Amino acid sequence: MIDPSVIRPEIALDAFLPIFVSSALVLVFGGFYVGIYTAVKVNILKKWAMPFAYLFWILTAYCLYTMGSLMHVGDFTAKALVIAAIGLLLLPHAVYYMQDRVHKENEH
Amino acid sequence: MANNHLTGIGSESKQLATWYFTFAAILFGAQLLFGLVAAIQYVMPGFMFEVLDFSVARMLHINALVVWMVFAMFGAVYWLLPDETGIETVGIKIGKLLFWVFAAAIVVVVLVYLFIQVGPADEMSIWFIHEGREYIEAPRWADFGIVVVALGFVANLFLTGMKGKQTGIVTVLMADMIAFAGLYLCGMFFTDNISVDQYWWWWVIHLWVEATWEVYVGALAAYGLITMLGAHRKVVEMWLWIEVTMLFGSGILGMGHHYFWIGTPEYWWEIGALFSALEPLPLVAMFIHVLYDWGKTQGEQDAQGQELSVIRNKPAFTWFVLNAFGNFLGAGIWGFFHTLPQVNLYTHGTQFTSAHGHLAFFGAYATILIGMMYIAIQGTNGIKIMNHTRSSIWSVSLLSGGMMGMTVALTIAGYVQVLVSRAQMGATWAGYFDGQSGMWFAQAMDWRLIMGLVMFAGFALLAKDFLTTGKNPVHQR
Repeated sequence: MIDPSVIRPEIALDAFLPIFVSSALVLVFGGFYVGIYTAVKVNILKKWAMPFAYLFWILTAYCLYTMGSLMHVGDFTAKALVIAAIGLLLLPHAVYYMQDRVHKENEH
Repeated sequence: MANNHLTGIGSESKQLATWYFTFAAILFGAQLLFGLVAAIQYVMPGFMFEVLDFSVARMLHINALVVWMVFAMFGAVYWLLPDETGIETVGIKIGKLLFWVFAAAIVVVVLVYLFIQVGPADEMSIWFIHEGREYIEAPRWADFGIVVVALGFVANLFLTGMKGKQTGIVTVLMADMIAFAGLYLCGMFFTDNISVDQYWWWWVIHLWVEATWEVYVGALAAYGLITMLGAHRKVVEMWLWIEVTMLFGSGILGMGHHYFWIGTPEYWWEIGALFSALEPLPLVAMFIHVLYDWGKTQGEQDAQGQELSVIRNKPAFTWFVLNAFGNFLGAGIWGFFHTLPQVNLYTHGTQFTSAHGHLAFFGAYATILIGMMYIAIQGTNGIKIMNHTRSSIWSVSLLSGGMMGMTVALTIAGYVQVLVSRAQMGATWAGYFDGQSGMWFAQAMDWRLIMGLVMFAGFALLAKDFLTTGKNPVHQR
């Protein structure tokens, strides 16, 4: 018989799989978001694909929320995850803006 | 400058680079071989018992990994220096001497690991057998040798960088390599408090692989994109500075995720959680970097009405793309799985860590270093357009497919350990053994071994491709 004092109750047994899946999807969807955004900007994909980029960001944010909820993260970690989600939203815009300016300066 | 990228003929620095790459490729084979021995021992615990025990095979496996990558990194720098600075590497003769010192020291260390293996628990063992710190177990005499070789390498880099043209890539490498060499000192001294010892040991391991090595990969990717695609230097270097900022910004304090359970203060939980959550962002940026430059350069080519591929070295470019993807997958996704303390409590020290370690080292570092080896082969053989061969396609497929399969197998094994050993049985001694005796864990270890064999076959084909490129008519000269 297992001593109950050594069992860690913080995460439910059936929550582990959703945690691992949602944390993997955070980056998979995040990758799709920045990938589609960049591909549209450099004309690899047509402009109509852009809404799908933002749809993937929404899915990313949802997976971060699910992961954090299942882990029962504290206030500080919850704020860190929100910062990460906003950072991911802004990252390709800021980076593309800077790159495009450098690219244009380089050409002219 | 473009022509310089295509030839290594006549450059002593590039000749030295090929020596480093050759020794690195041999050590890569040794790493896979000792990994196979350790994988067999998981399935058949009596295999080579008291001849080459698991502890020794594993030590050789992970030390060969670090050393072949360091050799290939030094080689890559010696390869790109003449292209970037426009001059021959300063002090190249000392560089060549140090190569032989380094290679001889590694051979002696490996022979001691193989034939002496362990010694008494005293200073003699630390000085002459091994130090017992994972990944950097070299005995102290070899530590001092490594420091001398690294200082010589950094001196070559700095003297050349200061005398020749200082591009953004060289400037980043100069700053990065001094940190890379300096951090090694943190793993050289002995303390009798295990928490303090681990605290400093992570300065080497984490700050190498999640800061200085990643920045190095960024610089190498920048060089590769200019070399293989003809991407605009200003655009590529702009990316590089962004990546350096993001990598150091998140990576240095991301070290907190190693300080959760080693006896360090609890504030590391919060620091580790915050910066670990940010650590995947630069990896995403590096992924876009390749896509952006590829799209822009190919788009410009297409706009001129030329339907040719802009890629001048297809095998190398394949490995560079795999690097962007593998870095994101191995270091990013498999790292993010268990980076927050709430879940790391359960995954720490299980096969989850092993799955992450395997895919991250392969995806983030092995891929780009193999790509650099292909660039060197193109240069030394005077090839203008390097195409894929049957061996190059099969080797890249078997090596990456084998690694992906191994990672999935280890992840399943780790999941069993999380549920049984940790969540259900509370990290007890009995839980440790119950977790490893289940069917899922055992079958995962069988698959890990099979995938190890697949990888070894991939390595054999890679070696064949390296050795036969010079005479292969498929490449355009």
